[in-house]
Amino acid sequence: MTQDSASSPTPAAKPPPRPYYPNGNIAAGYNPPGVRNTSSVVPLHPGKPVVHDYACDGPAPGNLAFRWTYGSNIAARNRDPRVQIVQYNEDTFVLRQNVCVHWEAPFTYLLFGNKGALLIDTGATADARHYPLRETVDAIVARWCQARGRASIPLTVALTSGEDIAQNQGLVQFAGRPGTTIVPKPLAVMKQFYGLGGTWPSGTSRIDLGDRVIEVIPTPGTHKDGVSFYDPYCDFLFTGDLLFPGKINIGNDRDFLSSLERLKAFAAAKPIKWLLGGHVEMMFVPGKYYPRFATYKPYERVLEMTPELIDEAIVHARAVQGKDMMLIRPDFVLFNGVSPDQRTKVWPEGVPNIDAPHPF
Amino acid sequence: MDRRTFLAHNAAVAAVPLTGAAFTAATDAASAATRPAPIDFRSNLPAAGAFPKRWICGSSSCMDNTDPPVQVHWYNPHTAILRQNKAYSYEAPFAPLYFGNDRVLLLDEGYVQLRNDCDYRAVVDQCIDEWCRRNGRDPASLELLVAFTHLHADHYAATNQFADRPNTRCMGLTHEEMVGFWGMRNYPEERVTLDLGGREILIWGSPGHVVSEFAYYDSYTQILYTGDMFYRGRCYISFWQPWFDSMKRLIDFCDTHPVTHVMGCHVEISKDGQDYAYGMTWQPEEAPVEMTVDQLREAFSHAQKITQPGIYFTGTVFLCNQTRGTTTIDRNPYRYE
Repeated sequence: MTQDSASSPTPAAKPPPRPYYPNGNIAAGYNPPGVRNTSSVVPLHPGKPVVHDYACDGPAPGNLAFRWTYGSNIAARNRDPRVQIVQYNEDTFVLRQNVCVHWEAPFTYLLFGNKGALLIDTGATADARHYPLRETVDAIVARWCQARGRASIPLTVALTSGEDIAQNQGLVQFAGRPGTTIVPKPLAVMKQFYGLGGTWPSGTSRIDLGDRVIEVIPTPGTHKDGVSFYDPYCDFLFTGDLLFPGKINIGNDRDFLSSLERLKAFAAAKPIKWLLGGHVEMMFVPGKYYPRFATYKPYERVLEMTPELIDEAIVHARAVQGKDMMLIRPDFVLFNGVSPDQRTKVWPEGVPNIDAPHPF
Repeated sequence: MDRRTFLAHNAAVAAVPLTGAAFTAATDAASAATRPAPIDFRSNLPAAGAFPKRWICGSSSCMDNTDPPVQVHWYNPHTAILRQNKAYSYEAPFAPLYFGNDRVLLLDEGYVQLRNDCDYRAVVDQCIDEWCRRNGRDPASLELLVAFTHLHADHYAATNQFADRPNTRCMGLTHEEMVGFWGMRNYPEERVTLDLGGREILIWGSPGHVVSEFAYYDSYTQILYTGDMFYRGRCYISFWQPWFDSMKRLIDFCDTHPVTHVMGCHVEISKDGQDYAYGMTWQPEEAPVEMTVDQLREAFSHAQKITQPGIYFTGTVFLCNQTRGTTTIDRNPYRYE
């Protein structure tokens, strides 16, 4: 520093000393601009429920800082948690089912607002001894309520697809839970619940969690009752089985394409940081994926996808429309009208063909 | 020992009946004093035996599986059948262990390589100890032959667990070493006889699923062990004509020899004919592993009509003619119009 200023012919004015608050600036509010959207500073002894300000410029901060549990070579010897919890931020939780409890290893999302909580999807195993989802959610809710000075908070359980047995099995664990609304599974009743009976599959609905309003977008295509959820706080789009980094088994290719196009229109109007799907089946090398029923997936791709993938999916959904074929892309694979175990020798042009090492 | 000598060594040993050979003379002399009268494997054939009502067949949650890594079923006092647990390897292969007066034959070693993960060697050692205890024998006096049906990793992965086992010979992992191990000169037509000490195993080539495969017939239980070339599930036929010829050899064999059961290496089908897709780790309603000669004949009569690649159901097995390795007949259950 001294050498720089000595060699410089016109030394710059010395910047004013920066204030230094080793224990935090007591003059600043609880949520100063940089951390405005986190509630990391909550009153120690809240007299009344803490009301969080969910309005923010841009996506709320948060990260998926942990690696997902990925099963083990010997599935019977796996000792990972049955439900892995990763806290994205103080009001957003991502839960993953252990690969060795069920190979589908679905992701489940728990979102909190000032007046309610939303659980998106419920996992692939009904037996609470093998997959204690209810117990885990109860624990997170209790802890959140404690931090926010509440006795309880109403919970809504919604599914990205009522018919998908990789996502609806845990629902039975929530039967009879007090203060819980379960979105009905059958398509007709579900449409009525969301108020989409007349407009399905266009139009959107909303689930108000209290200053955090989740939008419900009908997205049939992989399942005839598929819906996606948009969270305007984190700017996440929860796409379930419609678009995820894995083997996308298309249920109806016309619906699939039109749902993607509706998602694209939606994404043009709303800011989207990530798409979060229901599973991960791709490896971290492009275009490679794990077979069905695999209980050891050490080289998984990350869960999050960027919104540009909607455009890529649209292009390739058009390519497979009306044909019985599979199509490999770097971040997902489309299966239209073929067996979920279909294989192909066609490799996408311009994508490096890398083999991940085979674990012994 | 160079490669050529190694191959010749194995072939020579198998070709000459070992009972009188110099190779085992020392051990024979040492144990002759204490060895009880040899077991008679040649009368009252076929030896009675039973398959279990139900094998261990995985579990809905793999990490909650409490079954042993390898199930041991004693078909009769001198024949054990091993099955690997689906939560340790989804292939869950079956492996017979045949006991004779002089040696023990292990056919197939499962799909887990490390003893740390699945201790196949300990299971086999335990079976041998148990058999020796029952028959008043010293385990050290029995030679173990570690062989396999064909050259696929779900059948030989644990071979290396036996590498340092005393008085053990392991089949090599190339076609030449496999054929040489049984001393065959005219694969696949030649049928050789392995003498386990009063108990004869007939072995001949059975290519079609892969190039290097054997069929094994135990003259004591009269079980015909057909490997992956014919089993209760999806028979992946890579090479049609060799497979068809191998089937013909099996049928011809059944015409001239009594066969109690035909047994394959896997089960991938339910009792009511439902296909269990490749890789499944839970098969609650699984079909029995053993098949009858009639079922083999029935499959052969179906095969005679097959001219095109494709998947054909014979009522017992799926014949996957020149389809890909992991073909299933599974569909996407969520298709809709």
